[in-house]
Amino acid sequence: MSADVSMRDALYEAPGPRTQRRVRVGTALSLALLAAFAAFVVRQFSVNGQLDPKYWSFFARWTTWRFLLQGFMGTIHVAFMAGVLAIMGGLLLMLGRISPNRPLSAICHVITDLFRSLPSLLLIYFFFLVVPTYGIRMPAFWMITLPIGLAASGVLAEVFRAGVNAVPTGQVEAAMSLGMTHGRITRRIVLPQALRIVIPSLVSQLVVVVKDTTVAYVVSYPDLMQNARVLISNYDALVSMYFVVAILYIIVNYATNQLSIHLAHRGGTQVLSRVDEKPV
Amino acid sequence: MPVGTTEPIIRMHHVDKHYGQLHVLRDINLDVHRGEVVVLIGPSGSGKSTLCRTINRLETIDSGEILFEGRPLPEEGRELAALRAEIGMVFQSFNLFAHRTILDNVTMGPIEVLRRNRREAEAEAMELLARVGVEAQAKKVPAQLSGGQQQRAAIARSLAMHPKVMLFDEPTSALDPEMINEVLEVMVELAQEGMTMVVVTHEMSFARRVADRVVFMSDGQIVEQGTPSEFFDHPRSARARDFLDSIKGH
Amino acid sequence: MGVAEVFTTFGDVYLRSLLSTWLMTAVCFAGGLALGILATVLRVSPIKPLRVAADVYVQLFRNIPTVSLLVIFVYALPYLGATLPYRACLLCCVILVVSSFASENFMSGINAIGVGQIEAARSVGLSFVQVIRLIVIPQSLRTTVLPMTNLLIATLLTTAMGSQVPLTPPELTGMVNYVNSRSVAGISAFVVSALCYAGTSVALGFLGNRLDERVRIIR
Repeated sequence: MSADVSMRDALYEAPGPRTQRRVRVGTALSLALLAAFAAFVVRQFSVNGQLDPKYWSFFARWTTWRFLLQGFMGTIHVAFMAGVLAIMGGLLLMLGRISPNRPLSAICHVITDLFRSLPSLLLIYFFFLVVPTYGIRMPAFWMITLPIGLAASGVLAEVFRAGVNAVPTGQVEAAMSLGMTHGRITRRIVLPQALRIVIPSLVSQLVVVVKDTTVAYVVSYPDLMQNARVLISNYDALVSMYFVVAILYIIVNYATNQLSIHLAHRGGTQVLSRVDEKPV
Repeated sequence: MPVGTTEPIIRMHHVDKHYGQLHVLRDINLDVHRGEVVVLIGPSGSGKSTLCRTINRLETIDSGEILFEGRPLPEEGRELAALRAEIGMVFQSFNLFAHRTILDNVTMGPIEVLRRNRREAEAEAMELLARVGVEAQAKKVPAQLSGGQQQRAAIARSLAMHPKVMLFDEPTSALDPEMINEVLEVMVELAQEGMTMVVVTHEMSFARRVADRVVFMSDGQIVEQGTPSEFFDHPRSARARDFLDSIKGH
Repeated sequence: MGVAEVFTTFGDVYLRSLLSTWLMTAVCFAGGLALGILATVLRVSPIKPLRVAADVYVQLFRNIPTVSLLVIFVYALPYLGATLPYRACLLCCVILVVSSFASENFMSGINAIGVGQIEAARSVGLSFVQVIRLIVIPQSLRTTVLPMTNLLIATLLTTAMGSQVPLTPPELTGMVNYVNSRSVAGISAFVVSALCYAGTSVALGFLGNRLDERVRIIR
């Protein structure tokens, strides 16, 4: 009944005959328009010679995909480590922020907001351009992983805090009435539940991390994008390669998002993204 | 209670409706006359809410015919909106506009649909709010009111359109027990003033007190209908007897 | 070189850089909102192909990394007969990405209204256009203030992609490169840029919160 109808469908009610006619005309027109757009795109590829087999045939070779896969493993490697860093950092920042120690809480608050309000590229430049001027040499892997992890830790601190806030206050009050200390309540009662609540959000945050890794070429770390650039200079096939890589990223991120939605659905929770929180 | 002898204001004729496999309305034939209070009762899932919602075409029907004042329901556009302006509807979950004050909720229809000027509309809205007993809440937004107050405001919103018929779709089902009566009282008053009403409810005391006719539905069909005393004291069908037995326990 | 020296040497470039970053953020956000509204209208329309196309559009641009989109605009499009200036490439990319997130925000704003209020509005006799104008648009705008504020801040951060193409003046992230390639500024250039970003974000967040408090719908 009405409760099952999504808002998307509810805006327009069951069409009468006049509306049905209009919808049919609109459908035909829009199909024509979409087909024309698709034809235009194909035409632009074609007249500019970009459909030439020489730009696409190397995708039939295993070596191409092996090299891209190596790059993708690099992406995964960075994303995974950055994710681990971000979870640890985010957890510490959040715990600091909710601790009864006022100065510690304030400091963690400031750090969280700072990381949240800086572009990850700026942090990457910090590790790439600034840190070396002080004579500190870092491997490319850490020059990309650390800044991405730090940027994400600010966001995750807020995600964790939202998770903690989602734990019913009654439970904390009950634990307090049993005489448990703040630290003990946090460890035993609040955290385990908060972590379960935020799992889908952590997964969706992976998408942001993966997107951030795409600038790894700045520090010459061989990720998917960087390896694609190598292939481009080898095969002189820029257009096809950049489109294929874009599609690969889209597929991976789409799948990750779907996974997070699925987890949220199954656990009866919501995906808390940076967009849902209070701004800095 | 004066029951019109002329043509019925609402006439449903061989109405059928399916939700996929489910046959929710089966060959419904029902007339409602001016000034009449018809109460629809029956077990949940019997189709009574759906029936009520077909009258202002919030639900479409698959076959059959629904006439309002002798004319078939318009299917879309301005004509449909104009029809709905003449039929008041009160929902189970109040459905007040969350971003507007109670007063704005009541004046929106008169101002936007009937093109009344704001001053007049507001003056009348305040009278209506006073009549249902929530005039003190006029400047608040819906979420600041209790369920009972919200539902009374929703009734005022419908009345502001001077409807020819009022539909009530389980108006007290979402209310806490102590608030049910304040809403029922408003409805009883309306009925006594001669408003034509179609009421879907589980409140049997209300049905007994104000219904001109009780219509019992089960499995999408009208199983039997009659005056409250006929129906409650001498139900003819086995299904009605079972239903009445099942609610007596409460 | 200390922060003070960076200011005396590069002060006016920094000022222009900050203003340019703000301007790009404003343009991208406005463009993203406009496109996002269009996408949302198509997504809720009863015309199936438009719905599907707009859904695909949103999924594409919310999942593509901005760099990946930027290299397509800067390097691939010229091969396909469309050469845009660097700044235009950057603006287009950010607008496309922002619009997809804006549409997602609008969709959740619309979903928050609930079917019941739409039915109630119809029952009062409001026409389709009136329901949209009086109920759907005001409610979805008012419930999306906070998400949109966050999106505005995210737009600011996304303009950092401008550091990947030559821009005059460079935007705030590109400034770190700009300053470091002209002098040994060490951490100072980074600190100045970081303060500009953080200051802007805090100010935007403050305004967003204020606005939200005023228009928030209590449900």
